[in-house]
Amino acid sequence: MHIAEGFLPPAHAVAWGAAAAPFVIHGARSLIREVREHPESTLLLGASGAFTFVLSALKLPSVTGSCSHPTGTGLGAILFRPPVMAVLGTITLLFQSLLLAHGGLTTLGANVFSMAVVGPWAGYAVYRLLRRYDVPLMAAVFCGAFLADLSTYCVTTVQLALAFPDPGSGFLGALGKFGSIFAVTQIPLAVSEGLLTVLVMRLLVQSSKGELTRLGVLVAGAASARAGERKAVAR
Amino acid sequence: MLPIDAAAHGSRWRRRHPLDKAVLGLGLTVLAISLPPWPGAALVTATALAVLLGPAGVPARRLWRAYRVPLGFCVTGALTLLVQVGGPGGLLALADDGPLRAGELLLRTSAASLGVLLFAFTTPMSDLLPRLVRAGVPAPLVDVALVTYRMSFLLLDSVRRISTAQAARLGHTTRAATWRSLGGLGATAFVRSFDRAARLQAGLAGRGYDGTLRVLVPEARVSVRFTTASLALLGALTALTLVLERPLS
Repeated sequence: MHIAEGFLPPAHAVAWGAAAAPFVIHGARSLIREVREHPESTLLLGASGAFTFVLSALKLPSVTGSCSHPTGTGLGAILFRPPVMAVLGTITLLFQSLLLAHGGLTTLGANVFSMAVVGPWAGYAVYRLLRRYDVPLMAAVFCGAFLADLSTYCVTTVQLALAFPDPGSGFLGALGKFGSIFAVTQIPLAVSEGLLTVLVMRLLVQSSKGELTRLGVLVAGAASARAGERKAVAR
Repeated sequence: MLPIDAAAHGSRWRRRHPLDKAVLGLGLTVLAISLPPWPGAALVTATALAVLLGPAGVPARRLWRAYRVPLGFCVTGALTLLVQVGGPGGLLALADDGPLRAGELLLRTSAASLGVLLFAFTTPMSDLLPRLVRAGVPAPLVDVALVTYRMSFLLLDSVRRISTAQAARLGHTTRAATWRSLGGLGATAFVRSFDRAARLQAGLAGRGYDGTLRVLVPEARVSVRFTTASLALLGALTALTLVLERPLS
């Protein structure tokens, strides 16, 4: 969920902007380096940004019967890595606030921190950890996407609780209040996003092995070795 | 094209320099979040609405369609402030100052949203992005944002067509079919975006692509008169808020 325009007090808006800035600057530096070394990457990165933007516009069926949209942070982080996602996520959030009136400019820092920094890093960390212990690709993808989505909402909950502490029980009460509201809708949505990401990744493994190898999601040798094994078993 | 961007392309203020409109629109947003909500945000709301529907010439229906999205988020967000957790009233009770806090938040967010909408409804992205290089944003970043912007419309269009085709093939009739279709939609969007990037790269390479995307930007100059008038309006709103704050609160 994007925090709407003007929702956060000025001090909070500035503080979250400052918290997100180092990650975005780090991502921007690596992106600029990549573009200077390989100018053709501009188009690929632009296409990745457009894919992230479009992914966040897909309607996701939720268990309550209503619809929501995926954050796309988990899939984006697995495909493009968290530093690049920090920049692509910032661009996407900027477009969403100006083209769709979704999110905001004053809350851009807070939204970038939750959706383009914490979500991708949390999802990617879990994905990498599981892959290191030879957990199957799809299980790792599900866990990565699920946790990327959930951590995004956890951070949004903290951001809102800090901005609007409960009059009776302070920060912790507000955390429980916002958290319980989010839990009803967001845990099923995080599961939904995990499932959707697995479906997308399964199709990508079948149809776009080359691109996935180029992005480092699949290892070239391993992919061809598995194909060889399958052929041998078939024989 | 998305409705807000389409409206910006046909806006009366299309030919104005983005800086002119940023000073007014984003200035109103800054005032909305920094001035006391009553009467500051209320004055900002009234001013932004008057400018949007008056000189900027944004059709009321288009504005409402765009405005109801953030307004919905603001209302649901403000509702949470009506209750408090713990305290003498039990685990969950109505907060004493809940309606006041919710009202203030609603005023602030709706005023801030209108300020940004004033900027968005009058400034196409294609006018804004190339000028960011002059504002100090590194050119490679702006290029990536430009490609993202232009490719987003193509991809959104593709996704819409694929979704229609899936629906025509009964791809949305059951929950399982909907999920399968959705997975296919996401994967196809990825494949198409990479395919477009590869074709665009081949086309640009044939035209001597050196890593810089040169695009034509409509000529526009910063209007000193417009900017001064905007700053005067922002100053007047601040002064009026400070004068009215005590008698009205």
